[in-house]
Amino acid sequence: MAMVLQPERMEMEQQIKSSAESTSAESTSPIVVEGAAAPETAVSIKSFSAFYGDFQAICEVDLDIAAKTVTSLIGPSGCGKSTFLKWINRMNDMVAGAWATGSIQLNDLQVLDRQTDVVALRRRIGMVFQKPNPFPKSIFDNVAYGPRLHFRISKSELADLVQSSLQKAALWDEVKDRLNRSALGLSGGQQQRLCIARAIAIGPQILLMDEPCSALDPASTSRVEDLIYELREQYAIVIVTHNMHQAARCSDRTAFFFEGKIVEEGETDQVFTKPLKKQTEDYVTGKFG
Amino acid sequence: MSPIQIIQKSEATRKHYSSVFAIACLVICSLVVVVLVTLLASVVTSGGGWLSWTLLTGVHHEDQPEMSGIRQALTGSLFVCAICGLAALPVGVGTAIFLEEFKPKHRVLRWFHGLVDLNITNLAGVPSIVYGILGLTAFVYMFGIVPPIEANRPASIEFGAQYYYQAKTLGGKWINFPASDRFQTIYHFKEPISATMATGEDVQLNILSKSADSPEAPAIRDRTVFEGNSASIFRRNDWWHVHLPFSKSILSAGLTLALVILPIVIIASQEAIRAVPGSLREAAFGMGANRWQVVRSAVIPSAIPGIMTGAILSMSRAIGEAAPVLAVMGGVLGTTSGLTGLMDKAPVLPVTIFRWSGDENAGFEHLSAAAIIVLLIVLVAMNSLAIIIRNRFEKKQQGV
Repeated sequence: MAMVLQPERMEMEQQIKSSAESTSAESTSPIVVEGAAAPETAVSIKSFSAFYGDFQAICEVDLDIAAKTVTSLIGPSGCGKSTFLKWINRMNDMVAGAWATGSIQLNDLQVLDRQTDVVALRRRIGMVFQKPNPFPKSIFDNVAYGPRLHFRISKSELADLVQSSLQKAALWDEVKDRLNRSALGLSGGQQQRLCIARAIAIGPQILLMDEPCSALDPASTSRVEDLIYELREQYAIVIVTHNMHQAARCSDRTAFFFEGKIVEEGETDQVFTKPLKKQTEDYVTGKFG
Repeated sequence: MSPIQIIQKSEATRKHYSSVFAIACLVICSLVVVVLVTLLASVVTSGGGWLSWTLLTGVHHEDQPEMSGIRQALTGSLFVCAICGLAALPVGVGTAIFLEEFKPKHRVLRWFHGLVDLNITNLAGVPSIVYGILGLTAFVYMFGIVPPIEANRPASIEFGAQYYYQAKTLGGKWINFPASDRFQTIYHFKEPISATMATGEDVQLNILSKSADSPEAPAIRDRTVFEGNSASIFRRNDWWHVHLPFSKSILSAGLTLALVILPIVIIASQEAIRAVPGSLREAAFGMGANRWQVVRSAVIPSAIPGIMTGAILSMSRAIGEAAPVLAVMGGVLGTTSGLTGLMDKAPVLPVTIFRWSGDENAGFEHLSAAAIIVLLIVLVAMNSLAIIIRNRFEKKQQGV
């Protein structure tokens, strides 16, 4: 099996190199101006519709997800925001009967294209789930899982990568003495931060978070929120949340989903304080939902 | 409209029903316990006095129960069970992984998948003697496709056997040399060849013509044969010596028992894999793992305690099966040469118990009860091992 995987890995490494080159090229290009009003677009979604069999869950949605910002998706249950999130890294492939039309563009990659390699796609788009789901392995092995899948990497480099990922996820100080202990011994909040460390260990461009705090207590929630706020300096983060305070606290932009459509999308402050649509106002003020 | 009149049921009657039901359950339960205890008591009273060191170390002696033992049956059971496990576990676990983790999407394939799934559940209920007959045709006779084994003739297809000719020299020393054609049972000396002495020394054989005088010196006589004298063939087997068809051997018995437990292994492994939380698969897929990597790194590690428990429990079923072994290997009670390889026959515990319990000599009946006690101890040990393994893994995964 290892023999079969070799060419795949080599391809992967080339992709990593080329993506690194392309990002470095972008960052040095004069077009990008520090603090420019229009943020760089990480993912561009156009007339996207998603279906489960005959049921249309999302209807003709357009959305640009900006790089280095936190975009939160809010809306009542069943409005399609989780479905939308899961389509961005094709996690819906596994759901029987799920299909979609339209376009999701990530740099040069057409996400919805049948030929698109989901493995390469998910290397660039990390995901954090509702319930913390660390593997029943050691803390170290959890973070090293992705790098071991995708990179050919020496032991010392791997150790460095695990450390830096845990540091980025603000977990290093708590776990540095017990890296070889099972991850299931951590608290819920720690587990969720471990999952974030695991996701960023392979250097994705985008982090998708599906209600990352809904299974956590308030103290853990605020730590994860702080973390999300810090991580936006490096990643485009899309967060689905039921908690409107959370959206207001830690996101830069907010999109309000209702019955499979985006009703309103804009700066978080504006959406929460001066919403343009009546429906949005009703929702954020708690009249329904 | 008149108001609905509510009549309270009597509290006492309800309590009464409840206690009657509880007593009924207790009676049924104690019935089971009574049967079990009676069984154990009768076995222990009959065979307890016959538990001895001889029982464990001796072999079967016709008409001499006090000298007989189950050494060969124990080793036979051990090896048959090992073959059975080596055959059934990879196939069973592989099938379970395929059925659970690689569900096809295409409609026709999905239908086929469902059919296989359903049939495996049904196969678990097939009586083991049916598998015995299947094993007899499939492994012992190989459906008659391969020429059957005949006495005094090498099998047409075999591995792990070397053939030699052996002869006595003029000096009365045994020599042997490799046979070029294993179907030629007699070799007539024609030209000088090299041979090996019984001491292991390699020598060049002198071939004397019939008319010549025999030499006097003993050193020369030891390595001289007359032209036209005959050497007869014999076989040396490696332990893994295998021929087709497998004939009545421990290999056939092990493989047949593998058929018996295969559905159980598959179902137990499927249950274990199904119990792996979907969030783990999601996590692995979300990290960019492909299907195989998800199975290897997320599913199997979590399912392994369940798989191992199922495996050990099914092995303990295999070790207690008599019918399929009887069908495939016959009611062997012992062999003179003992167990030397895969193609040998060997007695197993349940068959020994079966044969002894029907013996005219009353002593063997007691001995079979003693053998039952040994078998029960083995089974209890295996089941305890299964529980210990499960608990160990569970603790390890909880991160304690």
